[in-house]
Amino acid sequence: MTEETHRETPSKHEPIEMVLARLLFVGSVIAAILLAIGIGAMLLGHGAVATRLVTIGLVALMATPIMRVLTAGLIFVRERDWLFALFCLVVLCALAVGILLGHAHVK
Amino acid sequence: MPTLTLLFGVPMRTAVAASTISIIATSTGAAVAFLHDRLTNTRVAMWLEMGTSTGALTGAILAGYLNQRFLFILFGVLLAYSGYNMFKTRKAELPGEVVPDRVSRKLNLGGSYYDRLLGKRIEYQVTGTIPGLIIMYFSGAAAGLLGIGAGIFKVSAMDQVMHMPFKASTATSNFMIGVTAASGAVVYFARGDVKPLVAGPVVLGVLLGAVVGARLMVRMKTTTIRKFFIPLIIYTAIEMIYRGIR
Repeated sequence: MTEETHRETPSKHEPIEMVLARLLFVGSVIAAILLAIGIGAMLLGHGAVATRLVTIGLVALMATPIMRVLTAGLIFVRERDWLFALFCLVVLCALAVGILLGHAHVK
Repeated sequence: MPTLTLLFGVPMRTAVAASTISIIATSTGAAVAFLHDRLTNTRVAMWLEMGTSTGALTGAILAGYLNQRFLFILFGVLLAYSGYNMFKTRKAELPGEVVPDRVSRKLNLGGSYYDRLLGKRIEYQVTGTIPGLIIMYFSGAAAGLLGIGAGIFKVSAMDQVMHMPFKASTATSNFMIGVTAASGAVVYFARGDVKPLVAGPVVLGVLLGAVVGARLMVRMKTTTIRKFFIPLIIYTAIEMIYRGIR
């Protein structure tokens, strides 16, 4: 990828793609490690520990895309790209309402 | 998901929950490679996510009021039509010259990526910005109503309506599905449908598969990827129509 020129990013900051790539990478690695250890514990017969580890791994994975929208929004704010920051806010609101409605539906 | 219910006799709701978290795994695992190659157009993704997220919300609210059979047939037919369109353009490696519309220019949606296979930087413009957003709203609603990923609709819309290069469409769609899936997964979690011992192994497998698959895709020819994609569209269309008629 050395031949790439990043001429489309006049900003002095790191391009948004790279920040989000790192965020998603860290999220997947944490989830994968927790899941792998959890499944290992399951195979060794530590049922309770396994369930807890796998659950935390799944929650980490679920939180990753939501963190991604939030991070993108913060980057747009930093770049003073208010329109795109607003788009991120709309998405976050829709997610929040969806989750609240979902929870209400459960009870 | 059908594999889980048919082969392993897992209850439907457990399978749906596991499959939704698998969508997040696919999206997250593959996005890393796509972002590094700049295939993902984050601006187009944020613009269109407004459509998918509000659509998914509408779909979730309306679910239960609308006739699912009719919806399956409707979306199945739409998908078959888009499969036919894709078949017509199967030989095209890249879209021709695209003139951006006014909104696309204002939002600066055009992008560029380095194609490893062609060995050059591909610059492209985006058009059909508003129709694209409207289609995303309905694709989000379909996801919420029918409990499907609907990524296949997103790729078709970006490819055929917004005239983005196929690789950029695939990567951007992959990037977006994680968010919609996450909102669904949270609800399944609250309902207790997520069974860690079922979902754990499935999700770990999908996560590793997505990382490998994405690395392969960035090195493949668009025409080759289309050859995999068209049968998938046709199969999904037939399955959806069948679920409507059955």
